[in-house]
Amino acid sequence: MSLVFAFLKKYRTASLLALLMMVIELTVELAQPYLISKIIDDGITNSNLSVVWMWGGVLLIGTFFAFAAGVASSFFASYASQGFASDLRETLYDKVQSFSYSVFSKFATSSLITRMTGDITMLQDTIFMSLRFMTRVPLVVIGSVAMAMVVNFKLGLMLALTVPLLLVFVLWIMRRAGAMFKNVQKRLDKVNGVIQENLTGIRLIRVFVRMKHENGRFAASSNKLMKNTVSALRLTETTMPFIMLVMNASIIAVLWFGRGYIASGSASVGEVVAVANYALRTIGALSAFSWIAVTFSRAGASSQRVKEVLDTSDGEFVQTDAQAKPISAEYQSKEVAIAGAVEFRNVSFNYPTSEIQVLENISFGIGAGKRVAIMGATGSGKSSLVQLIPHLYDREEGEILIDGRNIDDWDTEHLRRSIGYVPQEVLLFTGSIRENIAWGREDATFEEIVEAAKIAQIHETVEKLPNGYDTQLGQRGVNLSGGQKQRLSIARALVRRPSILILDDSTSALDLATESRLLGALEDISCTTFLITQKISSTQAADLILLLDEGQLIASGTHQELMRTSELYRHIYESQFEQGEALHA
Amino acid sequence: MPNGWTEAFRQPRPPVIADPSKASGEYKKKKRAKNVSGTLARIWKYLAQRKLKLSLVLFMVVLSSALSLLGPYMIGVAVDDYLSGDGAFWGLGWVWFLVVLGIVYVLGPITMFLQSIWMIEIAQETVYRMRVDLFSHLHKLPIPFFGKRQQGELMSRVTNDIENVSATLNSSAIQIFSSILILFGTLGVMLSLSPLLTLLTFIVVPLMAVGMRWITRRTGPLFKERQSNLGDLNGYIEETLSGQRIIKAFSQEDRVKKEFAVRNEKIRLSGFWAQTISGMIPKLMNSLNNLSFALVAGIGGILAINGQVTIGVIIVFVEYARQFTRPLNDLANQWNTLLSAIAGAERVFEIMDEEVENKDEGKASKLEHIEGAVKFERVSFGYDEGRNTLSDISFEAKPGETIALVGPTGAGKTTLIQLLSRFYDASGGKITIDGKEIGSIQRENLRSHMAFVLQETFLFEGTIRDNIRYGRLDATDEEIEEAAKLANAHSFIVRLQGGYDKMLSNGGSGISQGQKQLLAIARAMLADPAILVLDEATSSIDTVTEIKIQQGLQRLMKGRTSFVIAHRLNTIRQADQILVLKDGGLLEHGSHDELLEQGGFYSGLYHGQGVEGEAGD
Repeated sequence: MSLVFAFLKKYRTASLLALLMMVIELTVELAQPYLISKIIDDGITNSNLSVVWMWGGVLLIGTFFAFAAGVASSFFASYASQGFASDLRETLYDKVQSFSYSVFSKFATSSLITRMTGDITMLQDTIFMSLRFMTRVPLVVIGSVAMAMVVNFKLGLMLALTVPLLLVFVLWIMRRAGAMFKNVQKRLDKVNGVIQENLTGIRLIRVFVRMKHENGRFAASSNKLMKNTVSALRLTETTMPFIMLVMNASIIAVLWFGRGYIASGSASVGEVVAVANYALRTIGALSAFSWIAVTFSRAGASSQRVKEVLDTSDGEFVQTDAQAKPISAEYQSKEVAIAGAVEFRNVSFNYPTSEIQVLENISFGIGAGKRVAIMGATGSGKSSLVQLIPHLYDREEGEILIDGRNIDDWDTEHLRRSIGYVPQEVLLFTGSIRENIAWGREDATFEEIVEAAKIAQIHETVEKLPNGYDTQLGQRGVNLSGGQKQRLSIARALVRRPSILILDDSTSALDLATESRLLGALEDISCTTFLITQKISSTQAADLILLLDEGQLIASGTHQELMRTSELYRHIYESQFEQGEALHA
Repeated sequence: MPNGWTEAFRQPRPPVIADPSKASGEYKKKKRAKNVSGTLARIWKYLAQRKLKLSLVLFMVVLSSALSLLGPYMIGVAVDDYLSGDGAFWGLGWVWFLVVLGIVYVLGPITMFLQSIWMIEIAQETVYRMRVDLFSHLHKLPIPFFGKRQQGELMSRVTNDIENVSATLNSSAIQIFSSILILFGTLGVMLSLSPLLTLLTFIVVPLMAVGMRWITRRTGPLFKERQSNLGDLNGYIEETLSGQRIIKAFSQEDRVKKEFAVRNEKIRLSGFWAQTISGMIPKLMNSLNNLSFALVAGIGGILAINGQVTIGVIIVFVEYARQFTRPLNDLANQWNTLLSAIAGAERVFEIMDEEVENKDEGKASKLEHIEGAVKFERVSFGYDEGRNTLSDISFEAKPGETIALVGPTGAGKTTLIQLLSRFYDASGGKITIDGKEIGSIQRENLRSHMAFVLQETFLFEGTIRDNIRYGRLDATDEEIEEAAKLANAHSFIVRLQGGYDKMLSNGGSGISQGQKQLLAIARAMLADPAILVLDEATSSIDTVTEIKIQQGLQRLMKGRTSFVIAHRLNTIRQADQILVLKDGGLLEHGSHDELLEQGGFYSGLYHGQGVEGEAGD
């Protein structure tokens, strides 16, 4: 809640105005039973036409006031809630952008997206409804009881007596129902989980002839869902009837005593009618209570989820993102160009969220402009290793040196500007091909873009497209083949004129001929290249090959050296080159 | 909640706040129902299974509606006959009158409670049956159906659409019914009491219609604009967060922040207007309630002074007038919910109407045991009339042989396998197993002699043991471990925390791709089929991992007729026969060495290795 108030502060005036308008509207409504008692007692009973005209006129004017106030409250509430959501969304987005990558990856992307969209929308709607509608429920209840007591104190008291009883009951129901609906949600997730599994595994289920088994499993979990839903709803459905029973009892009491008071002259007909009317209004207001409780509890959960992101600090990893360290100012300076020599000294690493050691005691060194090939099975730590170089993650132990200087001493942004990184999964953005390549460096000229595309072996393909470099890519470039997308993201890295180029298995979808042309073209530009690959054909020309297995560097050296020293390397070599290696050379 | 009794819900119901998970609005975009009456009739068929309970519910709705009309009327009577006058209503004394009122007041909530819980029971049972029917129907549909449909879309039908039906049946159905009853009931009583006041009450109806038109005409386009801005923003968030690593590595944070802010501002503006104007709807309804209250009170007062109506009548009218716009409002709200639920139900029924896999012919037989001799004789097949996906395929596999299928995407490799497993039936030619035509073998029986290892290893939520046991449900723990050992999976399983009892969730997160594939191999091993299909089983595995699982695969294939689809050619060199398919035809056929010698398409592929990757270039 504190989060909501903090962000709503800026819109305090609008919020207060919205509330004020709502109160005006409410006042008009709460005056109605009182006025009708006046019409009855002073007008009809006394046959005084002008009194009826007057109060009738007041009622009518009040109606227009209430309408104007209602429209204005809608305006102010909308202004405040939209502004609130917009600010919060932007703050959240900026916060996420400020995360170091290791903090970022603590959250699932899909959950971050939900927080930025669904959760914020939920909060926005709740604020909107609160300003215009929800806050009026307690006001109606309090106002009705108070007005009833003003109209006739003794009769009004009968109304006041029921309120605590109702409150206790409604709160009790809400508490229990909350737990039960959580249970229902769990069951529903289970049912959906079974469906999901079955849709994904449908072929397998079919070929293993397990339909009956699956049907049984599904029926069992659906049945549980049904039972839970029924009992949860049965509970909440008692709320309204109970409220009505209690209020009805109080109305009967009002009538019973009212008649006595009228006889003794301590109440008028109009007063009895007005008090009964206030009782009815209280029922009306309370009927929305369960809905409000549900909405608030959901909004509470949403604000919790948003807050969780906003409260996340970068922790121990601060120095890598933008914040400059005070030491070695000369290297913080963006003037010092990075040549590209990289050295790892006993580097160990694990991801912040897991205990499994991803890299253990890795040491190697490579001079500027050389090529390193990294091989290993999936999960052996190849990608993790290269991600340490642009400082996307921080190592656990050991030292990483860039041009002989500790990586911590480099300004992170400057370091990253000197690195061209091509990740394993292709990530292109909506926009034209030209924009996607220029994404690597905003001020790149068209010539530079074309040059990068040529080296990445994508220029000819682009030229053949009807709109050339202006061809639009759908979300994540759906209209290109995998190999084309890979080459495009290589071009994006190259346009930066990087000193260090990292290709994380980014040539997997290329055929051998294209790949070797690409690797050949890369020889001509001077940058240190890290090449993660499965193909022996790409490793042969490397200055250094690193062979990783389960986070350990089990062999390193040139092709010839590894052929001599590493059994696994020979094994891989044989599996790929048993017969045909001469043909690829 | 079902029908209000006195004046519950006087405040127009606020619009339902969208579920955050659906906030992108995609779901809402779905079209409306096409065949409302047909769909309703089918829902009715489900409901009608509980006819007795349903008629009880209807009875309760009628009763509670009548009681809710009676309540305010009796208060009017109380005022006229007992509070201001001395007359007695129907000769009842004051105490007896209150007893009658008490009964009305107690019965009202009770009938309301009963109708809603009974309806909930009926609704949930109905939804349960629809779910189960839909689910079991899914398992009767031919496999190609699932290829044609997006999984997410199917998922949404089976979950969201049914949930929608469920929510509507729970409350909207009776609410609509009772709204209509109360509407006409109120109207009848009002007319009988005072036609003039009734007319006054009705003045608000055209005002309401005009006001609503004015608002909805504006909100429609505004909401559309907001929705499209929202979609745009969500797309941008999704894209940049998925690409976060690139943004970081390229130091582009400031740029995306700026672009985000532009989109964010757009949505603030369009959201503001959409919300402001649509927010007027409840205010309008409220004001019209107030207006009719004022009219009835004022003009009723004048009439009362002239002796044309009594105070009681005014009180009844004040109450009725306020009860009167509520059902109208409810109807308007519930109507949309109802329509969207019907559209949802229609989408569900659409799937139930999909044609199921052909039934086995009456005389189809069951085979206890098969050897695994497979023969294709001039087999042709086309998904569409006139265009053959496979044409004139002939080959013969002896029991225990390995047959590799090679060719570019769309050449018909998978289709050939689907014909063999009878997911489709060939349109021409003959396929036999052990000399028996497969059309004469029961589908399930045929498939029980086959096992598949697919590219996407599918693991269920459950223990490793359960996942392997899926290959044969009655397998003992020893048999499972035996299979795992043969598949080379045992050693990694016992090293896992929990070993065979380790729970796999989320499709097997926590174990590597190679390990998943080993489990799939163990599963197939346990099934012990005569015919084995490896459909791109090693495609998503890197070469180093492949080396590690190769041994398990070899053991699995041993002694079984195996069909291997792969595009990494080195994995299929040892096959006894290689079928090279292109454009649905059998282009080349022979062993690896023979085909290389021929120097044709296969040898070109082998030397270029570019079977699929760059087909688009």
